[in-house]
Amino acid sequence: MAKLLRLNMTDRTVALQDLPEAYRLLGGRGLTSAVVHDEVDPQCHALGPSNKLVIAPGMVTGTSAPTSSRLSVGGKSPLTGGIKEANAGTGFAPALASLGIRAIVVEGYPQSAGWWMAHITWNAASGKPDVTWLPADEYAGRDLYEVFPQLFDRFGKVSVAGVGVAGELRYSNSGVVFEDQEGRPARYAGRGGLGAVMGSKGLKFIVIDRKGAPGVPLANKEVFELGRKKLTDALMSHAITKPKGALNSYGTAVLINILNEAGGLPTRNFSSGRYENAAQIAGEAVFEGNKERLGKELYNHACSPGCIIRCSNTWHKPDGTEHVSCQEYESIWAFGANCGIGSLDDTGELIRLCNAYGVDTIEMGCTMAVAMEGGLLQFGDAKRAIELMHEVGKGTPLGRMLGNGTATAARLLGVRRVPVVKGQAMPAYEPRAVKGIGITYAIATMGADHTSGYTIAPEILGVSGKVDQFDRDKAALARNFQYATGFIDSTGHCLFIAFAILDIASGFEGVVEECNGVLGTSWTMADVGRIGKDVLDRELAFNRAAGIGKAQDRMPEFMRLEKLPPHNVTWDVPDSTLDAVFE
Amino acid sequence: MVSFLFTYRGMRRPLGTAQDRIQVEVWLYGPLTRYAGEASRGSHAQIFIDLAAGCTMQDLLTLLGLPDEEKGITFINGSLAALPGLDTDRLVTLHDGDRIGISHRKSMWPFQYRFGASLTEEVQEEFRGRRDRGVHHAYATPENDSD
Repeated sequence: MAKLLRLNMTDRTVALQDLPEAYRLLGGRGLTSAVVHDEVDPQCHALGPSNKLVIAPGMVTGTSAPTSSRLSVGGKSPLTGGIKEANAGTGFAPALASLGIRAIVVEGYPQSAGWWMAHITWNAASGKPDVTWLPADEYAGRDLYEVFPQLFDRFGKVSVAGVGVAGELRYSNSGVVFEDQEGRPARYAGRGGLGAVMGSKGLKFIVIDRKGAPGVPLANKEVFELGRKKLTDALMSHAITKPKGALNSYGTAVLINILNEAGGLPTRNFSSGRYENAAQIAGEAVFEGNKERLGKELYNHACSPGCIIRCSNTWHKPDGTEHVSCQEYESIWAFGANCGIGSLDDTGELIRLCNAYGVDTIEMGCTMAVAMEGGLLQFGDAKRAIELMHEVGKGTPLGRMLGNGTATAARLLGVRRVPVVKGQAMPAYEPRAVKGIGITYAIATMGADHTSGYTIAPEILGVSGKVDQFDRDKAALARNFQYATGFIDSTGHCLFIAFAILDIASGFEGVVEECNGVLGTSWTMADVGRIGKDVLDRELAFNRAAGIGKAQDRMPEFMRLEKLPPHNVTWDVPDSTLDAVFE
Repeated sequence: MVSFLFTYRGMRRPLGTAQDRIQVEVWLYGPLTRYAGEASRGSHAQIFIDLAAGCTMQDLLTLLGLPDEEKGITFINGSLAALPGLDTDRLVTLHDGDRIGISHRKSMWPFQYRFGASLTEEVQEEFRGRRDRGVHHAYATPENDSD
């Protein structure tokens, strides 16, 4: 029977309990948000004893379902004050699932100083996972690029969840780090400061050795295989997700030139929608730059086991040696266009430092841009930006200011152009130029979040003819996007499968059949909206109880007041539309 | 067919007062940069092209020698003008000072990241006429050409 593993940091006790019946059909975001909703006091301090960190693989994670090694990390966010689910693709996800653990719940509060790690192994004799506590002080205060190889030397082929210096210092912008396929500390559940929650518990690492673990059982192998094949076929044939397609060739940064042409690439702290040097930092430039430096074409790799989309890239130095993995769209944009920095070598170094110290690239890049507007450094000054990143890593007073997010830095520097919703910085799509993503930012339960409104065709959700992208009132479409995303985030699939399954209906059927094959359910595509709605309802209920209501579903004032070049548009979506999304 | 008086590839330059000529700014991305000749910067190219007044996008593409099978997402003055499978830009008349951006066919712009963005009238008309109202990521596969 599937288990919940509770790690109590008050006394370092461990409890392995049967998965409650209410959680039997949940996974990923659906499960983390359910546990947080049920067990965390919405009014608690995010860094106090009442908060919990929940780590859950998706419904089909650990199986052979393609592109399904996603992991959800949940808790109350120190950045937004609301519920948070941050998501990463990593081998940690299938490793956890293979042990029969549907979620780890980190709870309690340490009674003394010091860092610990939980070493989880499979005990064949008992048929259960064992947990061993080990001191981790020797890894604290250090660059994760130094520490991760030492963990692999010590424990062998394992998977790691952990925090960097940022989490130790309880920055509101600190992520939970996981290993990528090459063992780099490069896969982050980055958004919302959940690294600080883990750090507040005194938990530095969770190390999983899955050797001998039984794997994920299938309730109906035939149905699962049918679904797996349908989804695989869709991903392998769709223009965006197929081998040597858009994502595999150029990565997500293929969007840099697109959004720039559209006038929707936020530039210099959201003061323009077009950056004059965008083409130098685009996915096409990454591809050509690597080709020049390596003497051959380099296509992207899988960020996690079993991914067939393979959109994660590696950037190389002029001498052909590796610099960083990966330079994806939001990260490049955050330090590039948004900071007026037009060099991939500079954005690469800034991203590498985020990985090394354990902060989210979007939040950090937006914070840096606010610091530029506030006069701490000039727009385009990459050298000073790199110096400031080291301040973040050292925990100096200035570094702490910058490590606690965009809104905090803006407040301290007297900057009024603050691109946040519910305290979380906006990603790389200008809402004044792309209104739909603005609605998503405004109403997302997570704060400004570009991944909360992925599209599934209205006809698949059973609302065809009832919603229309040209309706002035876009609330219905936005609501369905939220529900669809809540479902995909729960399956353990990467959201990028949405690119294929929106256009190829059989692929979407495949996802539902995979879930049925694992869980023994008889869901149809008509169930997807209901499952996603349940996720959102819990998150909304938590946020309401935490004091985050419709009044917080708003865009920052400057976007209503300042016209955005080149289209010279303001944010003009009525509040009534935002309020109608979840009514 | 409008004849090109002449073409010029290089820096922007004043056109004087001639009423029968226009100059457009063209950005080509990815593999399309090879159609920019010496202006290619590997991953992108920016070129200024002189055209006869009244020229259309099709005239420009012909001049560039850019084949249909390579042309992808296309913008005119920041508005989405065409996508693979939606050749909605061919008859658009160009004007002096227009900025045209053309990505390779393998580029992408998922729906949720263009929902509410500026579209040319031709793209709006195309979407409104489709049964799916244009709510898709890609349009080039036959099964998605629902009309």
